[in-house]
Amino acid sequence: MWGPNEGSLVKRLLGVALGVLTAIGGFVDIGDLVTNAVVGSRFGLSLVWVVAIGVLGIILFANMSGRVAAVSGRATFEVIRERLGPRAGLANLSASFLINLMTVTAEIGGIALSLQLASSVYYLLWIPVAALAVWLVIWRVRFSIMENVTGLLGLTLIIFAVALFLLKPDWGSLAGQLTPAVPQQETVWTYSYYAIALFGAAMTPYEVFFFSSGAVEEGWTAKDLGQSRINVLVGFPLGGLLSVSIAACAAVVLLPAGISVTSLSQVVLPVAEGAGKLGLAFVLVGMAAATFGAALETTLSSGYTLAQFFGWSWGKFRRPAEAARFHLSMIVCLLVGIAVLATGVDPVLVTEYSVVFSAIALPLTYLPILIVANDPQYMREHVNGSAVNVLGMVYLVIILLASIAAIPLMIATGAGS
Amino acid sequence: MTSLHNPLPPVPHVAGRILDAQLHLMDRQVLDHDGVPVTTVDDLEVSGPALDVEIPPGTEPPVITALLTGSVLGTRIFGGRPPSSRLVRIPWTDVAEVGVVVRLGVSGEPLDASWVERWVRDKIIARIPGGRHDPR
Amino acid sequence: MLNTPALNPAPQSRTPAAGRLTPPSLAALACLSLALLTGCSGGTSQSVSTAVKDSSSAVATARIALRQDMDGKLTRAAASTSLDDELKEIQTSRSTVLKLSPSTQEDRDTQKQALDVLDQCAAGFTTARAALAGNDGGTPSLPDGDKALADAQDALKQLEDNVGSQ
Repeated sequence: MWGPNEGSLVKRLLGVALGVLTAIGGFVDIGDLVTNAVVGSRFGLSLVWVVAIGVLGIILFANMSGRVAAVSGRATFEVIRERLGPRAGLANLSASFLINLMTVTAEIGGIALSLQLASSVYYLLWIPVAALAVWLVIWRVRFSIMENVTGLLGLTLIIFAVALFLLKPDWGSLAGQLTPAVPQQETVWTYSYYAIALFGAAMTPYEVFFFSSGAVEEGWTAKDLGQSRINVLVGFPLGGLLSVSIAACAAVVLLPAGISVTSLSQVVLPVAEGAGKLGLAFVLVGMAAATFGAALETTLSSGYTLAQFFGWSWGKFRRPAEAARFHLSMIVCLLVGIAVLATGVDPVLVTEYSVVFSAIALPLTYLPILIVANDPQYMREHVNGSAVNVLGMVYLVIILLASIAAIPLMIATGAGS
Repeated sequence: MTSLHNPLPPVPHVAGRILDAQLHLMDRQVLDHDGVPVTTVDDLEVSGPALDVEIPPGTEPPVITALLTGSVLGTRIFGGRPPSSRLVRIPWTDVAEVGVVVRLGVSGEPLDASWVERWVRDKIIARIPGGRHDPR
Repeated sequence: MLNTPALNPAPQSRTPAAGRLTPPSLAALACLSLALLTGCSGGTSQSVSTAVKDSSSAVATARIALRQDMDGKLTRAAASTSLDDELKEIQTSRSTVLKLSPSTQEDRDTQKQALDVLDQCAAGFTTARAALAGNDGGTPSLPDGDKALADAQDALKQLEDNVGSQ
């Protein structure tokens, strides 16, 4: 994801471009796809402000954890265990791991649903294929190739933005929806519930485990911080724009028809409407690549969290035999994901719950990172600046509020129905 | 670990940093001499006078004899105490450096602390085709 | 699973022996939970109106998919997946309505009407799927499928107005 830092200027520029492009393509996963489409079809663009807050949050958060990893060489969960001790650390691990496992399940389901849309073969038949493919890539493919290929293919999701232009919407009224307001047919409670879901989808904690562990995988040092900052600062906002265009497409085509999104086949209809079969081909490649990339990241994250908590040898840069428990735990996670999906549970439903639970679990990872990013023993001169800390505290409050409000809202709204 | 009790002689003067066992040792990552993670410091074994015994003046201060790992993590979290024979020890003499991680001066491969890793590797992972393939 | 009212702290705090769960307070809690549970699931007309809303969304989706297929904008695979997904949605709504146990004559009528309309929707989907699978100029043709779905949509709209006016 973060190309080599030496060499000629052209090479460096290419490295920067590659990093930014993969950051955009890797930003969207099944959670963003589903949640943005659901929100667009039910609330129009009235929740776009949440995406903006979420994107700024993930920039702050990913930057901090990347910096901790690059400077201290320590990934997130090693730090969590050291800071919280074994008891609170284990509680944190259990919650984070379970939510991550739920996300793995949702992503594999997402790959299978995308493949069903492309082939009309029932998605349950695709699930073992998808899981096997994920495992094979984790088993054999080099980390940087894995990141670059899925990230670049995920870029084809830009078709959502293209389709939006081809749909020739009434831009004035679309812009008019941007103000935060509860639509007539919805309540303030469902509005808040989906605000939290959208926040959770943008800020999924696995991205932080993955980002910090990825920095260790790629052997970052303090010198690579500039590149990572550009990737995050440029790539994530553009990824956020991609999310917004998914919502906008749904708001233009599905909302007026009285359709509220419950399946992935509805997510692609606006693209076909605007860009035809070619657009459909792009969106299917993009969805398969984005969910596949996210399935890799979440599966690796489950291995990372376990290995880092217990101090096992981990990393894709090692031979599988040199990180045996790490690889075994990922195989088990994939098998659990297959087993859950084999019960016939709707992957879209799993996704909707996973983003809300992600929002609930956010303080668990956010707080330790914020503390360690201020610890000179780890960070030397690279501790947080005061501006970052002020912003960090503001986000701590937002994250805590979202986390506390999520479950009561889930009960009150019947999970948004 | 740095606090003093009267019956004990004063801490011998040692060159270097003073470590707080709770802060700088417990739950730290342990790497072997090649930088390969071995385990986390789940607990410490400290030498010294037996419990409930009056400490005679002039007794040597207790020293850390080993890093502990394995089932001791479970008992540390949920309470209880594993029998001494079940403790997995990394002798303190193997420790080379204490920083943000604890570095050993020996290879992690033959250590008792690595037996689960070895078992999983030899029985499962290495038997899957490509298990010894170098990804780089 | 997260909808269990026992997770809701509100009823607990209202019981007289807050903190200590004596048998009477447990019974009160159970009653409250039950009330909450039935209150959440709503009466017959509430459930029917949710089912109708979900089904309208499904039928509208199917019509878009079919129209896009006729316009050459959608691949056969995507169109048929879309119809399958939406038919599943109709089936879910239908089984929700089927499981209702209405207590008044009015509710029984509503349930009966809803089942009729949902059956019409399912039939519309059958026509549409057959049209999509056939696609050889025979019957039913894609416009036939669209017509069947459009009729189902009208029936749903009517039912929605009926239930809404009650």
